[in-house]
Amino acid sequence: MKNTKGIFRGFTGVRANSKSLMDNSSFKENTTGYLFLLPALIVLGLFLFIPAMMSLYYSFTDYYMLTPDLTEFIALDNFKTLLSDATFRTSVGNIFQFVIFIMPIQVGTALGLALLVNRSNRGTMFYKIAYFSPVVMSLVVVSVLWLYILNPASGLLNEILQTIGLPAQPFLSSPNQAMYVIIFVSAWQGAGYQMLIFLAGLQNIPEEVYEASTIDGANKWQQFLNVTLPMLKPTSLLILTTTLIDAFKLIIQPMVMTQGGPLNSTLTPVYYIFRTGFTDRQIGFASALTVMYGGIIIIFTVLQRKFVGGDTNE
Amino acid sequence: MNRMSKYFMLMSSAALLAACGNGESDSSGENSGNGGSASSDEVTVWVQYSEESAEGQVMVESIEEFNETNEEGITAVVEYIPRSGSGGGYEDKINAALTTDSLPDVITLDGPNTAAYANSQIIQPLDEYISSTDDLLPSIIEQGTFNDELYSIGYSESGVGFFYNRTMLEEAGVDLDTLPTVDDPWTWDEFNGLLDTLASNYDGPVLDMGFDDQSEWLLYAFSPFVWSAGGEITNEEGTEAVGYFDSEETVSAFDFIQSLVEEGYSTITPVEKGFHTGEYPLYMSGSWTMQELDNEYEDIDYGIMPYPVSPNTNELFSPTGSWAYGMTTSTEKPEEAGVLIEFLTSEQELYDMSMGNSVLPARQSVADRMLEEVEEPMQVLIEQNSKTGRARPTLINYPQVSRTFQETVTESTYYEQNPDLNSLLETKAQEIESNLE
Repeated sequence: MKNTKGIFRGFTGVRANSKSLMDNSSFKENTTGYLFLLPALIVLGLFLFIPAMMSLYYSFTDYYMLTPDLTEFIALDNFKTLLSDATFRTSVGNIFQFVIFIMPIQVGTALGLALLVNRSNRGTMFYKIAYFSPVVMSLVVVSVLWLYILNPASGLLNEILQTIGLPAQPFLSSPNQAMYVIIFVSAWQGAGYQMLIFLAGLQNIPEEVYEASTIDGANKWQQFLNVTLPMLKPTSLLILTTTLIDAFKLIIQPMVMTQGGPLNSTLTPVYYIFRTGFTDRQIGFASALTVMYGGIIIIFTVLQRKFVGGDTNE
Repeated sequence: MNRMSKYFMLMSSAALLAACGNGESDSSGENSGNGGSASSDEVTVWVQYSEESAEGQVMVESIEEFNETNEEGITAVVEYIPRSGSGGGYEDKINAALTTDSLPDVITLDGPNTAAYANSQIIQPLDEYISSTDDLLPSIIEQGTFNDELYSIGYSESGVGFFYNRTMLEEAGVDLDTLPTVDDPWTWDEFNGLLDTLASNYDGPVLDMGFDDQSEWLLYAFSPFVWSAGGEITNEEGTEAVGYFDSEETVSAFDFIQSLVEEGYSTITPVEKGFHTGEYPLYMSGSWTMQELDNEYEDIDYGIMPYPVSPNTNELFSPTGSWAYGMTTSTEKPEEAGVLIEFLTSEQELYDMSMGNSVLPARQSVADRMLEEVEEPMQVLIEQNSKTGRARPTLINYPQVSRTFQETVTESTYYEQNPDLNSLLETKAQEIESNLE
């Protein structure tokens, strides 16, 4: 939690500064402050704000990648097409299936792992590294490795299933199973990262609070419910928000493992946008998809903050 | 604090300057790649492979020879821009160059892109610059033709056949002398006979058709079944798909494809490298597999047989396609670029490219020459290619049409979900038609 505290201190620091910005007497200091911001603003502007604004503009045009000079303003036509686009609807349905399942699974796993390794036993270092190692591997590599494990005819997983007497599964080649397999692989790959943040949060809960609760006669489970969880709230909120946004951006796993199939069951909006823009060359329409989907993500992030109670954590 | 901040500012502005500087030198590098700004007799070519690749090695020598021998005093400069698997990298560079109007004089392009590039006026017709087109394989002409004009010339060909494991076929009691040839192919029924023999002998799927490769492969390799049945993806003009892609003939082809999975002869989840490791006796794959087998799986004694044909037509079709040369519309030196393309697609250069890179030839004369020098499996593919090769449709929205075709193949192999191929193909035909202009 030391880190988190540091971040909060940073925030209040900014706030204090912003007050002094209005103060004319420290003009010099203000200029220095803005100059400090400049590099970040330039980088963010070049790689985030300007491209985002360009996408917004392109979404109202018929920009075809091969004829940039013939681009024309077509107002809302892209959005009209989009509303009747069944593939986009399918992809949005798929991503909600993914989000609904991966959020509890990945965050729950991360919390469980953090609780497990949050002891000073010998060997916890090994587990920390073991749980975290998938995070540092490239997603493409992870996906390819799982492709081998999940191969229905010769994969390791089916060998194991058959050894213990269970029927072999089609996994990624079944439209009903493919998305769940991707959820599992993604949670396995990503949980280590959230585990580390949870761990930082856990280690920052003061020992006295636990002592006090023990004196009050709380058992381990009550301690977990009434001390650990509430004290983890700021950490949890950060994790829930970042995991949600990351989940909405799913593309690599289906791209490598299923190419969006079978029967579009793992086609995600970002993958669909990529395909429309870069394979089909319809930059204008892809931009409209991006704008629409960006809106959906913003709405759900705000809703989540409302429901999880993010506003109380200042 | 103040000193620190000044130091930091200095550092960051230096970093920024460095970044900008890099950007500038990059773009000037690009400009020097653009033939327009260089010396008057310099022609620039962009290619999609690296200098170290087999293709690259041949290209380096070809260009050296061209620069020494051409009578017009033209200097050709090649920029090697390797592409990633799906054509990224190289095509990204082309797309970026379009927005900044900095394309070179000559580019390479994937055959099916010809229509889109020609329609967007990125490349221009080659007819007036190229004289020796008679000898080019019909599939190369088809692939490069848009609105009756030749826009691109493939510098090699590719093909697909049915690889068979001699040892495994003989073990199952198949007489190898009875196998089909390009002049006397098997019908789908005869082919099923072989599959049946093998399936009962080896218990399980015996043919890997790459159903798990949900990419361009599915159109490339499976469209010959449609053509052999007398079906089409679109009409000749490329304006209609309804009535073509959902015709009785097309349905019969997909019915055959579906039956291969339904009967258990083939599988949608093949074992990785199943043919290479002796798991499957049959493998539908492309010319590139020969190299892999010869270099890394020498134990497999294999042959190649041609596509089976529809019993209704007995007509053999095989897939073709390759990367090709095109001349940009923006070039200021069309004459010189034409001379270079003519040279690069001449008999000797295409021969060197095909032999150096173990790919099929793009000219009949090269095919005749190679037939005497290569081994039997390669001979089958060369023969099948020059006698029966057919190019994929030249359509502006090819990527979308291809994806619909790919989905149709995949969906038909999910036979339980899609027992009614007629209605599946009706839907798909409409989807294709919505992407035609």
